[in-house]
Amino acid sequence: MSGFVHGLSDVAGQAAVRDSADVVIIGSGAAGATAARVLTAAGLDVVVLEEGNPTPRDGFRQDAYSAFKGLWRDLGFTAARGRVLMPILQGRAVGGTTVINGAIMHRLPEKVHAAWEHDGAIDDLLSYAGLERTFDQLDRELSVGPAPDAVFGQNNALMHAGVTGIGAKGNRILRNVQDCEGSARCGQGCPNARKQSMHLTYIPQAVAAGARVYAACRVSKVETRGGKAVAVLGEFRDPTGSARGPSIRVEAKRAVLLAASAIQTPVLLQKSGVRGGLVGRRFQAHPGTSVMGVFEDEVNMFFGATQGYETTHFWDERMKFESVSVPAEIAATRLPGFGAPLQARLANVGHVAQWGVQVRAEAHGRVRPGLGGGSSVSYDLTPKDVARYRVGVRRLIEMMFAAGAKEVWPGVHGLPTTMTSPDQARALDALDDDPRRYHFIAAHLFGTAAMHRDPRAGVVRPDGRCHAVDGLYVIDSSLFPTNLGVNPQHTICAIAWKIAERIADGGTRGRERDAA
Amino acid sequence: MLAFERRWLLRIFDAVYPRQTPGAPTSGAADVPLEGLITDLGSHAPFDFMLGLRAATWVVTLFGPLLVGRLRRFGSLPVSERGEVLEGLAHSRLYLLREIPMLLKMVASLGYVGMPDVQRELGLSVVDSQPPSWARGER
Repeated sequence: MSGFVHGLSDVAGQAAVRDSADVVIIGSGAAGATAARVLTAAGLDVVVLEEGNPTPRDGFRQDAYSAFKGLWRDLGFTAARGRVLMPILQGRAVGGTTVINGAIMHRLPEKVHAAWEHDGAIDDLLSYAGLERTFDQLDRELSVGPAPDAVFGQNNALMHAGVTGIGAKGNRILRNVQDCEGSARCGQGCPNARKQSMHLTYIPQAVAAGARVYAACRVSKVETRGGKAVAVLGEFRDPTGSARGPSIRVEAKRAVLLAASAIQTPVLLQKSGVRGGLVGRRFQAHPGTSVMGVFEDEVNMFFGATQGYETTHFWDERMKFESVSVPAEIAATRLPGFGAPLQARLANVGHVAQWGVQVRAEAHGRVRPGLGGGSSVSYDLTPKDVARYRVGVRRLIEMMFAAGAKEVWPGVHGLPTTMTSPDQARALDALDDDPRRYHFIAAHLFGTAAMHRDPRAGVVRPDGRCHAVDGLYVIDSSLFPTNLGVNPQHTICAIAWKIAERIADGGTRGRERDAA
Repeated sequence: MLAFERRWLLRIFDAVYPRQTPGAPTSGAADVPLEGLITDLGSHAPFDFMLGLRAATWVVTLFGPLLVGRLRRFGSLPVSERGEVLEGLAHSRLYLLREIPMLLKMVASLGYVGMPDVQRELGLSVVDSQPPSWARGER
């Protein structure tokens, strides 16, 4: 039996929507869609609730603002508050952030896995060997591979030259794309439907196997009875406007899975009565900042894999460097100056390259319910984190010059707007470690409902089950005990897969272990 | 956003992207119907973002010129000096003041550079040949 994807217009006029399923999943991104695919394949009846709108399957052809409005949470204007205002990038659509991310697939670093194991956060469900098998399967099903030469693009090629030029090693990024046309517009939703986002892969697979997806559906809480999750409550609401639809209640016969992101999941937990302890605490991220360089020859970062080259050479220093193509509207925002100087630089934007550094920040923040049903995130980088950006930006400047840039725009307050020699990068050594010198963007969010065997050290067990409420699971990156230092989509999918497999097994092994 | 705030904001956008800059696109922000973008933002952007945008508009319009030693309102400065005001704010010692022109430039860029005609002038490939919905008077 085939399921469906229903949006606001499909339920208009109904007083209320009532449904029931073996498993109710909140969120349709990397975690939720993967779980839906595994559970439906195992024969379970699944309902997925997604706050964003249904997404077209033939691609997105629109300007950046329209894409942000339709696909990004709060147009990308959500910000973590601390000493700096740090924009937080999250998708809000069927497919979640996989619709708007850079299509980067990185396996969980073994060193991170070993640390989780050592700390007692995980058990044999998430053994590295088992995860490796799941990564292999995900690679096959999501067409993971490096960008081919034809669509590699000069922004990526120059970064290869820059990384090599400073004596480091890099590699083409492994991406979940099929026959990429190199539009360099991953962030706005692939215009050619080549990126293998969840709305093109696991959501349709789950729907074909009977899953029912309710989009434009904002969940208000998980209903519990006798210490067990029994249903999910919410209402239909256009996420991009003010239109409202009926309320919805979906009964969960076996389990409720939270896959709403490391910001929305802890907020839902708190609204559902799971408060205190570590819920919403230990928020972690990989904030990033970028440097631009101007080259004599055309770069045209608007063609090629959006993010096609990286180096993890400095991973042990908690840094990862990536090429970052952005649409012209966003590139223009990052160009120095105003008025005539800005217009002149804009006219030359085809000669500009942009690369970024993301840091595996040590900082911990906090997520709380906000006004109007939203969320509030407080987050401040530590001095050690900021020192890493200082080193990271210096390396980016050196890479730019090593690749042949004629001038570099570091975008750091207190440095020259324009640098024309790598020697000028030394000026970074004289800067204090004040985060307000940089412009950060926070992507990759973790840790707000961490897993651990000990309920005092975690919100959920190593198989995702909530310590406090039976039948309630967290399956997204909220349960990661720490950040990763690499892009998390692959790990999110793999862990959700393993948890979903155990739920499909009836969870017997987990219960036996608890009894023992 | 009130009518006079919109006028102030459009003048700021005009200073970010002035028209007839030598060696640059001949059009400027004033040639693009950015009123539609402001209206659309008012309907869709988070409340605190719009509050920040309004506050930024007030600060630049009323206090920005003091930074370049002018006792005039922003809108009465020559266009070239308006750019200097924004540049001065962007290099302020105060973080929040530095963020103001960046916020305004971001909104101006989303609108102005998002127009297919501007992208064509820049020699970029245009993904959607139709102007964005806000420029067509749609919500």
